[in-house]
Parts: sequence; structure tokens; C-alpha cells
Amino acid sequence: MKRLFATLLACMAGAVISAGPALADQMAIIKKKGVLVVGVKTDYPPWGTRDASGAIVGMEPEMAADVAKRLGVKLELLPVVSSNRMQFLQQGQIDLMIATMSDTPERRKVVGIVDPVYYASGVAILANKKANIKSAADLKGKPVCALQGAFYNNDLQSKYTGQDLVAFKGVTEAQQALIDGRCVGFVYDDVVLVWQKAQESKWGDFEVVQLNEWAPVPWGLAVKIEELNGPWGKFMADVTADWLKSGTLLALEKKWVGSNTPWLVDATAKAKK
Amino acid sequence: MTTGSVPAPRLTPRWFATAALLCCAALAAGEAGAQLQAAGSRPGVLATLWKWTPLVLFGPPREFGGFALNIAVSFLAMAIGTLAGLVLGLGLVSTLAPVRRLSWLVTQFFRNSPWLVLLFFVMLLTPFQLRIAGVAIPLPGWLKATVGLSLPIMANVAEIVRGAVNSIPTGQWESAESLAFSRLQTLWRIILPQCVKRMIPPWMNWYAILTMATPLISIVGVNDAMTLTQDALAAEQRSELLIPMYTLLLFFFFVYCYPIARWTIQLERRYAVRN
Amino acid sequence: MDALWDLLRHVHDAYGVNLVHFYDGFERGRLLRGIWTTVKLAAVCIAFSILIGIVGAWLQTSRQRILKAAVKVYIQFFRNTPPLVQMYFFYFALGPQMPRVVNDFGVPQPMFGSFEWAVLSLSFFAGAFNVEIFRSGVEAVQKATVEAADSLGLSRWQIYRYVVLPLAVRICLPALNNNLVNLAKTTTQAYAIAVPETLFVASQIWSDRINVLEMMVTLLTFYLLLVGVFVWAMTRLERRLRVPGFGQ
Repeated sequence: MKRLFATLLACMAGAVISAGPALADQMAIIKKKGVLVVGVKTDYPPWGTRDASGAIVGMEPEMAADVAKRLGVKLELLPVVSSNRMQFLQQGQIDLMIATMSDTPERRKVVGIVDPVYYASGVAILANKKANIKSAADLKGKPVCALQGAFYNNDLQSKYTGQDLVAFKGVTEAQQALIDGRCVGFVYDDVVLVWQKAQESKWGDFEVVQLNEWAPVPWGLAVKIEELNGPWGKFMADVTADWLKSGTLLALEKKWVGSNTPWLVDATAKAKK
Repeated sequence: MTTGSVPAPRLTPRWFATAALLCCAALAAGEAGAQLQAAGSRPGVLATLWKWTPLVLFGPPREFGGFALNIAVSFLAMAIGTLAGLVLGLGLVSTLAPVRRLSWLVTQFFRNSPWLVLLFFVMLLTPFQLRIAGVAIPLPGWLKATVGLSLPIMANVAEIVRGAVNSIPTGQWESAESLAFSRLQTLWRIILPQCVKRMIPPWMNWYAILTMATPLISIVGVNDAMTLTQDALAAEQRSELLIPMYTLLLFFFFVYCYPIARWTIQLERRYAVRN
Repeated sequence: MDALWDLLRHVHDAYGVNLVHFYDGFERGRLLRGIWTTVKLAAVCIAFSILIGIVGAWLQTSRQRILKAAVKVYIQFFRNTPPLVQMYFFYFALGPQMPRVVNDFGVPQPMFGSFEWAVLSLSFFAGAFNVEIFRSGVEAVQKATVEAADSLGLSRWQIYRYVVLPLAVRICLPALNNNLVNLAKTTTQAYAIAVPETLFVASQIWSDRINVLEMMVTLLTFYLLLVGVFVWAMTRLERRLRVPGFGQ
């Protein structure tokens, strides 16, 4: 019994230490195991959400399915949230992350963000009309809902609100908190807020205000940082370039979101040249 | 949460009936209200609850999740925690001072750390797979969460073992020694068999606590009943579903945990050491 | 102090150990506020849960069957459902039903915020255990003592307040300590409803600064210290209040 426990402890200790770089050539590994594991969101309709049968559907799951098809392997979607998606990729729980992640220099140090990027969004606030928010400067001293792990949280708190954000793990909770009056607005990616507001009549008392303090930021799909310049990273770069060139992304956006964003129209035009 | 010696008041079947009736009444009221509001354009609250119940109970198709996962995690974490806790508990009563001290340190560490922090620790800082002698053993999220939950269980089971061993009169150790039993023999064949009865009620108490801690795994991204309830609420986007959905989730846990609590109290009474 | 922060900054640059939550003024500030929130949350919850325990145990000695039954249902509900789900239920399901007050920003806001709901839900959760703990203490008080008080002409409440409770508290102090330590640890769950307590702030910092390991170690150290100090204080109290003639 004691020996068993000692082995167990040794394993645990070893596990913590050996969390470093894994094997090279993820691509070969994926093909060998026959399954591609992609981290996607489940609380981000219409980019990633669940239907009543429990299946994960949306624009990004469909992109993931296309990758699996190109590789000729089965697809497994693993739900991630903003606060754990990079760790999941680092630890290798997922082979690929297509999880609405904004591309920032800090993140490029931790995960391998593939160029070209596939989407972009700016920052906006879905604000209660009564609070009369026109820009980020109006948020001073006010409770603001946000999502844990969003890249603008730090700036938002240190430069504008000056108090702790009301940040939740998922969009559902943040939206509910906004409806309940826990905060004056929910700061989030503009594309989502615009889509949400158009979908639901319950947002009648709210308005989407673009926060131009943050320039639009591209969304990158990511592989493990060690893989970025290996076959796997290169493969994904080619796939993304092809998606843009062939208009696949435009079609997917039209299907799921309902209309095309200027950024994607531009990016597609550039890729075609 | 360890209130092992405290008997809970008895809830008769009549109480259950009343509670169930109240639940139904509340749901019916919600249903009526929702139908008035929606004017027939949306399915009622009960119908919507019914639609999501299979998902919340058993998880998405071909995936292991939902309430069934909560129960599975509780079983597995209890098993791991109990095995490790037995070893650690014997370490606590060891005659070797270094072993005793190390065991004490480990016990205190895991007993006094918040469960949620331990869970984050294990989830975010352990890799997705172990390599033992060239064989890769995958560690999916739910398994890591299970290990995270088993750590505090281990420490508390160790305390139970220590308490039980110490509750056996010293005379028995001395008699065993005079009969030329070794320390290990005494422990295995004389002391521990008597301990089992005393350990079962507090052990079951910890099982109940563990089961009620399993929704914590939703915070670290595992598809348990809590996560799926929230996903369902996200997909529906209807505020009037909040109370019924969360009530349903509470109800699942109550139905599972309450009989265990009753049974624990019965065992406690039966095994009570008479003074 | 500044020299220390500079040293930590150097440690980050030279060795990659990212203790930004100490040397960066903004992160340090919010971490300290988080710690203060945890301490406040724990203290308020402990006070409320003890109050609930005392009142609940008193109600259980009542002759009113309805009252007794209500306490029973309360205990069984809170003991046999997960505290995290309770917290979500309170904050997201019951919260919006509360009357609203228009705040300074012109937005109608429910009466209680996330801190208040965390206090309510955690206090009711721990309170359910406290009722039973106090009740076991009350039952352990010898009948003769109560009869003696009765013969002195004290009312039922007076007997409870001046004779039974002081003895009962001393008897059940170890069990009470256990439960209160658990309560202090359970305050981390307020993270889920965005109460800016220590775990919440820590997770914000490790998301922003990507220093999970360093932040985790800091977090565990803090909680071990907090619980350690609490246990030490309560053990002293236990020793001071020990009823002579019981135990070894």
C-alpha cells in the first residue's frame, strides 16, 4: 500500500515537472490518433453554442469540422472558456483553439497564433440607455460587467472604471447581471453585442456603444507555441489563407451571423489579390 | 461541515410529499405566468424544463457529462481519496517521528486549503497526459478535477483514521504486544477491524460533502450538471426559466444526497459507542 | 519597500518568476482589496451563521409544530444541496425578484448586490449546520441544570439565554470551529457571482498577466495563513472556555 502511494506521489510530482514541451510534429500525432481535438466556446452564440441535443454548433465549430475533413480524421470539440483556453492549449488538452480569441502581443508569447488571422472585432459596451454612456470615459466609478479573461479588462479597470469589474466566467451570467441591473453595461466584443441586440427584444432598453479607445483586434486561431513554425502551424496557416481566398469564411459568417462584417469583406478582398 | 455526531431531524415521507407538492405548485404558477407573458408564442416552462432534463442529467450524446458525471466524479474522488487517506492516516499514527510529521504537514495543508483553489491548482498546472515508461496516459479534464477533489478528501479521511485508531484503548496494543504480535500485525488484525465501524459514519458524511462540492468542477470547465444548466439557460435566453432551472438542479442533488444523510444517521446510531 | 519591489521586478526579468501582483502598484492594490473583501466576507458570514444557529436551535426547542417543521425543512434543504448552486440560485434566480432602487447612474438596481447575496447564501448554508451543532450542545446540557433554573422562576427564554446557551456553546465549540473554518474556506465560491474576493482577483490577475503558478502559490499561502490564524485563535478560545469536569 505504501509503495503504491509513493508511486502515486512520484507520478504527481513528475507530472507537474514534465508539463514542459511535448513531442514535435503535432500533425503526425493527430493523424496517428485519428482525432482532432479543437477547443471552442459553448457560450458564444452564434460563433459557438449548444443546441438542445447537446451538440456544439456555430461558425467556429464548422471551421473546426472543415479542418478535420481536410486531415481525414474525426473531430472532437472540447468546450473552453476565456480564462482556461490558453492553458488547455499549452497542456495539450486541445490540438487547436478556435475560440474567439483576440490576438495580442502578450498572448503571442504564450500560444502560437496562426497568421493570417480569420476574424476581427472591436470593443463595445451594451449599456443601459438610462446610464447615458458615450465613451469609456463615462464609465468612471461605475459598476461594469465583463468576462473573466478578456484582454481589455486590465485597461478598462486601471484607466477607466477605477473599481473592480463585475466579471463572470460566462456570457450568460454577465448578460443576466446586466438585465438585473447589477452594472450599467456589459463590455464585450462588438460583433457579439450587435448580434445579440438584433436577436432579442429584451435588449430594448439597452444600446450598443462602440468603445473606440480600443482599436479593432483580429481573432486568431492558435496552436501550441512550439508548433507554430512546424508542419501543424504551417498547415493551419494554409487552411486559414484558403478559407479567406475561397470565401468560405464569408459564407460561414453569412450563415451563422446573418450579415458580413466590413473587416471580413476587406480581408477576403485582400486575400484574393 | 463535519458534524458527525449531530443527528439530523427526521423528515417523514409526508414531508417529501409536501415539498414535492410545493415544487409542483411553484412550477405550475410559473407555467401559467409564462404562458400569459408569451401569449402562446413560446413553449411553456414545464415543456422547456422537460426538453433540457436529459441533457442536464446525462450530458451531450456520446459524451460523458451532466449529473451522471457529478456522481461518477464523486465515486472516483471518494475512492482515490479514501485509499490515499488510509495510507496518510496510518502515517499520522506511525511510530517514526519523520513519517508522522510529514503526514501531519500534508494533512494540514490539504485540510486547510479551499477546495476551489486546489481544484484550480490541479486543473491549470498539471499536463493533459502522463508519460510512464513511454506509455502516454491521457488525463481528461474531468479526471483532473476528480484528483483535485480527492485531495481534501484524502486529508479528512486521514484525520478520521487517526481519530479511530486513537479511540481504541491503549490496553489492546499492550495485550497484543504481550501476545507477540508485531506492530503491523496488531494494526491490521486487531485495531483496524474495530476502527471500520467507527469510521463509516464520518466517512459517509464526507461523501455527502464531496458530492455537494462536485458542481465546483463547472467553474474549471467540466461538462457537469451545473455547466449544462447554464448552457441551457444561455441557449434559451429567457429570464423566467432561471428559478425553475436552478430549482430542478437543486432538486436532483437533494434527491441523491438526502437518503445518504438519513442512512448515515442510522449507521451512526447503530454503531454509537455506548458510554 | 520600493527596493523590495525593484528586487522582485529584477527577479521577473532575470529568472522569469513573475510576481507582478506584488511589485506592480495596480495589481498589488487590487489583490489587497481582494484580501480585505475575503476577511470581511468571512467575518460577516461567521457572525450571521452563528446568529442563525442560535435562533434555529431555540426555535427547535419550541412547542410550535409549524416552527419546528420550518426549521427542519430549512436544515435539510441547505445541508443536502450544493452551496455553489445555492449561491447561483440566490443571486441569479432570487436576486432579480427583489425590489429595485435607482442608483446614482440612473439604473434601477436590485436591493442586494453580489456581496450581500454571498453573505446571505453562505450564512444560510453554514447556519443550517450551526443549528444542529448548537442543538447537540443544548441537548448535552444536563436536565438537572435546567430544572434548577426553572425552579428559580426564570422564563423559557431566560433559561435558554443565561443557562443553557452558555453551557451549550462551550460543549459544542470544537464542532462549531470545524464548521466555521469550512465556512471561511467556502467564501472562495463567491468567486462565481463576481464578488471581488481574493480568488476572484487572483484569477483576474493570472488571466491578465499569465502568471498562473506564481499567483496560485501566493493564493494558497494566503488561505493557509488565514485559516491558520483562525484555527489558532479558536483553539485558544476553546481552551479558555472549556467546561471543567468534561473530557480529559
